[in-house]
Amino acid sequence: MTTNNLRKYIYQPETFNRYRQERDYFNYLSGILAQMPDPMSQLSKEITDITVERYDQIVHCAEEGKPFVAGYFCAAPEIYEAMGLPWYMIMATPFLAASAPYLMEDIDGAEAMGLGTDWCTACRLSLYYIEAGLTPKPWALIGLIHPCDAGNMLHQAVKRNKKWRDVPIFASDPPYFEDQRGIDYYAGELRRMVAFLEENTGLKLDLDRLREVCKETNKQYANLSEYTQLRRAHPCPHGWGVGGPQAFAATQVFQTGKPRGTKWLQQLYADAEARVKAGTGPVAKERIRYFWFDLLPFGWVFELMPWLEQEWGAVLVMEMFGLQPYTPIDLRDEDTIFKGLAKRNLYDSPMVRQARGPADYFASDIARVVKDYDIDVVIWPGHMGHKDGSASTGIMREICNELKVPYIHIGLDLFDRRYTTPDECKDKLSKFFMAMGLG
Amino acid sequence: MATKVKTKALQEFQEATSTLVNPSLRKWKEQGGKIIGCYCSYVPEEVITAAGFVPFRMRGTGSTGTDMADTCVSSINCSFSRHSLDLGLRGEYSFLDGVVWVNSCDHVRRIYDHWKRKIDTPYLRLISLPKKVEEPQVEWFRGEIATFRDSMKDHFGVFISDERLWKAIKLHNETRRLQRQLYELRKRKAPPITGAETLAVMVAGTAMPREEYNKLLKELVDELSQSSAGHSDHRARIMLIGGILDDPAYIEVIESQGGLVVTDSMCFGTRIMWKDVDENEKDPVTALARYYIADRPSCARMFGDQPRRAAFIKDMIRDFNVDGVVAERLVMCDCWTGEQFMTGEDLKEAGIPYIRLDRDYINVGAGQLRTRVQAFLEMMGR
Repeated sequence: MTTNNLRKYIYQPETFNRYRQERDYFNYLSGILAQMPDPMSQLSKEITDITVERYDQIVHCAEEGKPFVAGYFCAAPEIYEAMGLPWYMIMATPFLAASAPYLMEDIDGAEAMGLGTDWCTACRLSLYYIEAGLTPKPWALIGLIHPCDAGNMLHQAVKRNKKWRDVPIFASDPPYFEDQRGIDYYAGELRRMVAFLEENTGLKLDLDRLREVCKETNKQYANLSEYTQLRRAHPCPHGWGVGGPQAFAATQVFQTGKPRGTKWLQQLYADAEARVKAGTGPVAKERIRYFWFDLLPFGWVFELMPWLEQEWGAVLVMEMFGLQPYTPIDLRDEDTIFKGLAKRNLYDSPMVRQARGPADYFASDIARVVKDYDIDVVIWPGHMGHKDGSASTGIMREICNELKVPYIHIGLDLFDRRYTTPDECKDKLSKFFMAMGLG
Repeated sequence: MATKVKTKALQEFQEATSTLVNPSLRKWKEQGGKIIGCYCSYVPEEVITAAGFVPFRMRGTGSTGTDMADTCVSSINCSFSRHSLDLGLRGEYSFLDGVVWVNSCDHVRRIYDHWKRKIDTPYLRLISLPKKVEEPQVEWFRGEIATFRDSMKDHFGVFISDERLWKAIKLHNETRRLQRQLYELRKRKAPPITGAETLAVMVAGTAMPREEYNKLLKELVDELSQSSAGHSDHRARIMLIGGILDDPAYIEVIESQGGLVVTDSMCFGTRIMWKDVDENEKDPVTALARYYIADRPSCARMFGDQPRRAAFIKDMIRDFNVDGVVAERLVMCDCWTGEQFMTGEDLKEAGIPYIRLDRDYINVGAGQLRTRVQAFLEMMGR
């Protein structure tokens, strides 16, 4: 298939407005951060700059008819990078600029489409953006049918959607348990994904390039591992504003296998190290060290997380996306690389790790984090879309009881502030902290 | 609305559906027989039958609350998972010698995690069910079934030979053939059996020793086939689609308004019997894997198969002369909220009347259901 034959999508200026608005929003954030010379703000600025660059890249691809795909962080971004294939996540749109002013309007738009309101808001929004032409139409889509039912149904609905019906889609099938048979099977699925991408983009995967990318990611995860060790310090050098989520964005989304991402992780480490040596943390006096065991509440993050620090001296010491369970990829040959990618993407990646298989990961991750990071309280936000996690709440509570650490399950929507309002969350947390004698 | 033919078989089926432990199951147990609970229609029950045990489809029948289960799960988990787990925690499932799951959905797969920790059932297993329907998935599931078969040997000391497995496959295929014959009768202008009664027949098939069930079902099919009595007093012929509905009372409400349910795409309906396991396949384990993954009408969770599911629904609508489609789902079920949305789009394009209903597993919600069905029938001009 020639590139000309593949040049099937003609740019329409009125399309994917929301995507471009998001790019502008991040540009705006970068502008604000540029006015703040402190190292932490500059670390954040680098991430927003990187984000804007990726958005620009996708916009240009769409405008110029160059291949780009929609994919996922846990669907081997190392492969997209090695193929030189620009990519974005259809489900990122609700996350990245979730605190932008149009979010509520978009949630209502999704409801008006007839999408069930107990379906994860991130999934509903993604489908709405496609239906409304607000997100760029890729040459091919790597779908995700795990870790949750909501995501599986989203990608089935995308496949059926009239506007995207001609977008070829592939999703790797996830085995349930973590064992060698599962790794071998999933490595096979990733090979089939490569064949699919090659067929639908005209690009080829070069094994040497893939090895280079994986080698760089090994460095990135080694850096991340060192950084996460520093977060064990008292006080924790960084709070919610810098650290895990950005490191995740760097390693698994925007800078997978790129030296610039590695450099950013080294800078993150250097900043944390300096703060540990100086004994400084994000608040004057660290009174509560908490483990936020999920994504951050992107729809209203600026209302809740700073409040926790200011009102309670509560510092986010660890969260789901900052955990570092990654095994380096064995670079010896194609077989070891694909099996390494299978393990990393299926059993190590955040959220997929905990939610895809048995609930044991919820318990073991809590046990590990509570002990290693000297956690005072475990917060399970209980996003309305994370039904498998909320179905594990009893197991999480029991492990916390064994560890003698308080556990709270809030019950909220990470995007829609109307589900449980920020004030209700604050009230719930305050009462719980008081009852537990925390802070 | 009740069938004009009062057969003994139908009464037994209805009794089996209304309780967890029906008389024939109790008798089986008293005689030393083993019973294995199955948490989804994707559990390859033939393996259990081949071991000489009775596969029993897990339900929440008789549950009056979820207080115990609510200590494990949350309010955003579906009421089926909460009620059935609650019964387990209360010891109502102590008659089981084992329970087998597949990772069917986010709610049900977590019951496995709680059961493992809290309920003392001797044999527990979760089979890893693919979410796609292609050849690599058939091969994967073949391995899962083979391991499942081996684990039965390890735990119960029962060697399940190929010969025994083929015998079980044939027995289950016989069930499917009889059930399809029953459904054929519903194509009549005046079907001899209601939708509610049919559901009782289907549920009973998952709660009785297989030979006994087949015998009774044959009696019922023979009797209904020979009868000219039927239901002609309905306003519309309805197809019901959705997930786990095991309570005939729900359909009774629909039928009380004149919507006669004549066919379905349900977990306790056509999806478990519209196709047979291929008896011409060389290897029985491969035959089972292919049946469950690729051949049978798929569940909403199976990625890439929605066009085939939509075509199946349209075939049913045509073959059973359906006037309108009712889609039901349990509140909080993501699989069926997505599927309902897609089916709605498909049927809108095809101009077929369609209504989506949310329900609770135990409480039928008769008042609201009646109103919605009335409005639907009126909208259809019936």
